[in-house]
Amino acid sequence: MIQAHDSVIVRTLGRIVIPVAQLFGFYVLVFGQHGPGGGFVGGVILAASLILAILIFGRDAPDSWLAAKVLHGDGLGLLIFAGVGGLCLIGGGQFLNYTHLQIPGLDEASRHYVGIMLTQIGVASDVAVTGVSIAISLSADDEDVSHG
Amino acid sequence: MSSQLPILLFLVPFVTAVAMPILCAKRRSWCQPLTTGAVSVMVVLSIINLRVVLSEGPIEYAFGGWGAPLGIAWLDDPLAAVMALAMTAVALLSLIYGRVVVPSNLDRSVPYYTLILLFTAALIGIVFAADLFNVFVFLEVAALTGYALVGAGGGKALVYAFRYLLLGSFGATLYLLGVSYLYAAVGTLNMVDLAARLPELMTSTAVVTGLVFVFLGLSIKMALIPLHGWLPGAYANAPQSVAPLLASTITKVSLVVWVRIEFSIIAPGVEVSHIPVLVLLEDIGALVAVIGGALALVQTNIKRMFAYGGIGHIGLILIGVSLGNSTALTGGLFYLINDAVMQATLFMVAGAVLHYHGAHSLDDLKGVSSRSPWLTGALVVVAVSMVGLPPTGGFFGKWNIVLGALEAQHYLAVFAVLVSTLLTLGYFLRLFSCWFHQPATIESEQLEVAVPLRVSLGLASVAMIVLGFMSDSIVRVLFDSLTSGGS
Amino acid sequence: MTKMSPMDELIQALIQRPNFGVFVILFLWGIYIMAVHPNYVKKLIGLYIVQTSVVFFLVAFSAKDGATVPVISAEMASLEPLVSANPLPHALTVTAIVVQVATLGVSLALVSAIYRKYGSLDEDEVLKRVG
Repeated sequence: MIQAHDSVIVRTLGRIVIPVAQLFGFYVLVFGQHGPGGGFVGGVILAASLILAILIFGRDAPDSWLAAKVLHGDGLGLLIFAGVGGLCLIGGGQFLNYTHLQIPGLDEASRHYVGIMLTQIGVASDVAVTGVSIAISLSADDEDVSHG
Repeated sequence: MSSQLPILLFLVPFVTAVAMPILCAKRRSWCQPLTTGAVSVMVVLSIINLRVVLSEGPIEYAFGGWGAPLGIAWLDDPLAAVMALAMTAVALLSLIYGRVVVPSNLDRSVPYYTLILLFTAALIGIVFAADLFNVFVFLEVAALTGYALVGAGGGKALVYAFRYLLLGSFGATLYLLGVSYLYAAVGTLNMVDLAARLPELMTSTAVVTGLVFVFLGLSIKMALIPLHGWLPGAYANAPQSVAPLLASTITKVSLVVWVRIEFSIIAPGVEVSHIPVLVLLEDIGALVAVIGGALALVQTNIKRMFAYGGIGHIGLILIGVSLGNSTALTGGLFYLINDAVMQATLFMVAGAVLHYHGAHSLDDLKGVSSRSPWLTGALVVVAVSMVGLPPTGGFFGKWNIVLGALEAQHYLAVFAVLVSTLLTLGYFLRLFSCWFHQPATIESEQLEVAVPLRVSLGLASVAMIVLGFMSDSIVRVLFDSLTSGGS
Repeated sequence: MTKMSPMDELIQALIQRPNFGVFVILFLWGIYIMAVHPNYVKKLIGLYIVQTSVVFFLVAFSAKDGATVPVISAEMASLEPLVSANPLPHALTVTAIVVQVATLGVSLALVSAIYRKYGSLDEDEVLKRVG
């Protein structure tokens, strides 16, 4: 069981660094269209911030509630990914052919943009959940882990 | 709608697997029926897919609307359709069987069933992929879920799963290295495009290095001796319910990937610094067939014996596909499909014997025959098919390979097939002598074997005989697929 | 110019393209670590180094001097292929890294389960306890 870190410096810095890291993660996720970034890297940075929260504040602390809650969303990100692809299938094209994404009021370029954005958000959330679950399962002692 | 069949075949297990943690977190008893239902839907879809492909021709599926060679394409030709049907059918049989022998801690575990579904989805991806890198991705997904499934056995299985992981990941890295070399030399990764551009580049060092690394990587995945070290330990210690699934699929699909690469690129007579490549592969196959059979003969653990038998058969199939004429090629591929069913049945029998009689090694098998007629019947059918006697499918596969070897006048291959058959006969006779041995003291009471087990074993035995009867039409389908330029 | 011996050619090629020499060294070193050290975590580190070296090889032959992002923005009429980076190897690299991370996750879970069960991370010790 991970105990809360007992150094005031670490905890205070954690309160500052973790939100900044999450903001940076979201930035990297959105910026992937125009430069290095994208879903996977954004997800890894988000996972790193959540793992840092668990390491500094312990698993059951109120400050790391997000990391504990996020495990319930296992598989949700991939469902978003498959869902976007499936919507394209239903719309008449192939899997992930964003031209056929039938959302009213969008022209073709915006359809590609929205489709890619949604898939990247799905990938990022799934990678974040996976990272946190790896960290939690590695640190568990003998009790069963989450929905085991 | 029928043109979307390949992706539907992939999406059914994938979406079920991904939705399972959310759906079944509270209702754990739903996992098993959901998994079996998803795989049954897959079997139905693959039958429909086979009929569509046979009547209308290959389906080329371009992801995102970007056609080959710019985008990633999936090619659904008859070979892929037959393989998809074989893999999904074997998976369904293993799942029905798995209900009986699954360990209690795994039966209510959501990740276990998620892993099985992801493994099946990855197999479909490997079979359909027409892009070298796409094959790598799905090969790794199948491998990673495989490592976790082997390790789910707990205890000893963890150590062997780790060894499997090290060797398997190293093999995948070699494959990736080979693909990088090929990309650097040719500039494209689409298999059809490579087939057009590669033959005139065969003298380039980069291309040859790439192909060598790809072959090495795939050899580790298909457990070609001497790179087979991970297989016996992993299959002998995997949980009983997934051993048939793992044993019958992962080495065979890796071999199919190599056949696709080899068939489209290496024509007969191609030489690399004066070494004829196909003859080299055929000699490797001959060695593997003989050594695999010999190693199987000396084992005392039942599952290890079957594992080495499977390794030997990979050698036989490699002989068949490397002989360079279409008889042997179709014979080899037909034998591959048979081998998938045979390995699944063998591991089902071994798991059932362990579950009901507690028999690990050959000596523990005394008196099993009188108490389990179903297991005995299935074992006899599988033995007939493995040795290669008519009317089972194993006979027609070996027969076509031998005919092709005689046609190409490679008598070493004929000799290797014969020796391997004799060795298979040898270890099955050893198995039977222990199986049918009647101890004088124990009276024989019939052991009630559960219904799902009977269903699985019965369907598998029937399948082997049906494959034998239908061998002509299947061989013709494979022949058409390969000569119409669709690979 | 006189014909160089194969050894001289090799050394000259290595000096002209040091990246590929680094790739070879990392690859072989990783294999050595994987094969020789009995500690499980060290074997994992060796595997990781091998995979990283292959990713490094991918990057080494696809890097371009002074290349820009291959995206056509609104002001540009068209894109010169010579000044824009090739996006395909980048996609290959990212996918290879993702596979690396997934492998690391599964392998660390296996190693920690082995440690919990057998109490040791040394391969010889564990094999002795497995029996």
